Amino acid sequence: MKNNLWNILKKELRELFRDKKSLSMMLIIPIFIPLLVIGMSALFESQIEKKQDEYNKIGFAYEMSDVEKNIASEMNIEVISGNEEELSKKYDEGKINLYITKQDNKYIINTDGSDNSMFASNLIESYFDTYKQYLQKNYLQENNIDSNQVLDIIVLEENMIKQDNFYVNYIKNYAFLFIIMAITVSATYPATDTTAGERERGTLETLLTFPIKSKDIILGKFLGVTVSSMITGIISLILTIISLMVTKNMFSIYDGVNTMYSLTSILFAVIVIIAYSFFISGLCIAVASTARTFKEAQSALTPLTFISFFPSMIAFMTGIETTPLFSVVPFLNFTIIFTDINNGTIDILNILLMAVSTIIYISIVLGYIIKQYKSEKILFAK
Amino acid sequence: MIKVENITKKFIRNKNKKEKEEFYADKNISFEANDGEIIGILGPNGAGKTTLLRMIVGILEQTTGNITFDKMNYKDNEIEIKKSIAYLSGNTKLYDTLSAYELLNMCCDIYGVDKEKREDRIDEITKVLGMEQFLYNKIANLSTGQTQKVNLARCLVHDPKYYILDEATTGLDIISSQIILNFIKKERDKGKTIIYSTHYMEEAENICNRVIMINKGEIIKSGTPEEIKVSTKTTNLRDAFFEVIGGDLDEE
Repeated sequence: MKNNLWNILKKELRELFRDKKSLSMMLIIPIFIPLLVIGMSALFESQIEKKQDEYNKIGFAYEMSDVEKNIASEMNIEVISGNEEELSKKYDEGKINLYITKQDNKYIINTDGSDNSMFASNLIESYFDTYKQYLQKNYLQENNIDSNQVLDIIVLEENMIKQDNFYVNYIKNYAFLFIIMAITVSATYPATDTTAGERERGTLETLLTFPIKSKDIILGKFLGVTVSSMITGIISLILTIISLMVTKNMFSIYDGVNTMYSLTSILFAVIVIIAYSFFISGLCIAVASTARTFKEAQSALTPLTFISFFPSMIAFMTGIETTPLFSVVPFLNFTIIFTDINNGTIDILNILLMAVSTIIYISIVLGYIIKQYKSEKILFAK
Repeated sequence: MIKVENITKKFIRNKNKKEKEEFYADKNISFEANDGEIIGILGPNGAGKTTLLRMIVGILEQTTGNITFDKMNYKDNEIEIKKSIAYLSGNTKLYDTLSAYELLNMCCDIYGVDKEKREDRIDEITKVLGMEQFLYNKIANLSTGQTQKVNLARCLVHDPKYYILDEATTGLDIISSQIILNFIKKERDKGKTIIYSTHYMEEAENICNRVIMINKGEIIKSGTPEEIKVSTKTTNLRDAFFEVIGGDLDEE
């Protein structure tokens, strides 16, 4: 009798693990994370590791000197000669990646900014740098000036303080965003099933005749849904870490980047997963419990799935940084703290604010649901 | 003893698309159910029987009036009262994913049945209701009669003092119905208090010590089956009921 909360939780978990739909929601969604990480890695890799012969066909609408031809040859540039009209036509037909026109000492790079043209632009800029340096050296030598003293008047050296990689950060943040989404999806089905579903099946009436306080019934149901979403979150996190470890050895975009998470980072990620699981489970149960039927609950929860996803998406896209104020904004706070964990810029204060605000939100939501479960409109709605 | 005093239940329902109206499912219902007695609540569908029983088992709150179980009320002793009640209705649904044994075990957990006595208790109930063959089968795979036996079994694990039975034999075959009716009589003989709602008048005549007839949410007649038959000059409760309502066959 004293452990009725535990009895309800046991019942909920037993139903959850025996229900194929709940189980598949819980376990199958995380499997998409390795696919996402591998897919995005392959996509970015293909962007970076473009073969030079895919973008080295450059049109020159002027007569090139031998020196220019040599530089082009050394840089593996395939020179296509012709007048501007011919080259423009070839460019439109996709036979060349860009073409150069010349007016006195002015060289004009004609390009449309497409993917291959950008690679070709970089290549041709290197070509002109080399050519310009050759001309400068020649000019200085002809005027008896030590070219090294002039050309190397300043020395620029890059010291990489921290190995950062845009693509890898993007993939890691996206994977964490997917964890949030997986937790949300994982919470919606059991929340619907345990509230509107139980009412529709007629077992809620049976449950209410048991000597159990409605508070224990709600908490048991809430904890059952939370456990489900937490399991999804933890599996998703493990798969994210494993995926990053595996893809590090598969793709060169990870070269020199440490994809391993420290134990502290993993611990904080688990805290965020737990907090979000509690939050979204409470919210899903609150929404689903007001619905009269399973279908109605599912319809009501669909907007919640989007609402949970959009602030995170916007924060992720716009690069919003964590502040104490943002740490208490539901949905947004979980994503930006995940980003901090990825960037290694964890602030304990922000995590504390996120945790405390989540507890407050959950308490409000649970209070509301307990009140709902005393309402005849909810229990006997038809 | 269960004492029901001036119970009224008011609902608000849609009159038409725009207007709402008050609707009384039960109006000023009063009666007492003594220990060792089966009280029959009789009435047609929609008479207010289920609403009345739901208030008695504490899953609906009455608009006005009092319900007490040996002087205990829901406001102060909800859990104590629910521990001593068994509620079985024709609509009561069970958890499909559990086996009958798991369900009984869960009920033992909830009602705090001692772990040492539990196996003996489940064993005893299984034998009484003839559930040996399907005890470990999932409820989803049981027939209607078998499910209702499991339903009855889960009401027995905690050896309740009060039985509130709402059309418990509806949809059952003659053998399953008889098992339940025999069981009810035995429990009455043990001194338990039983409130039994049904729209089968013959069934009530056979097992009830006293009968309360309800129509449109109001008590229209009460007494022993014999008293009602004598006062209405009829030979059975079915005729007595029609005699009392005076041919008013309007459905609510």
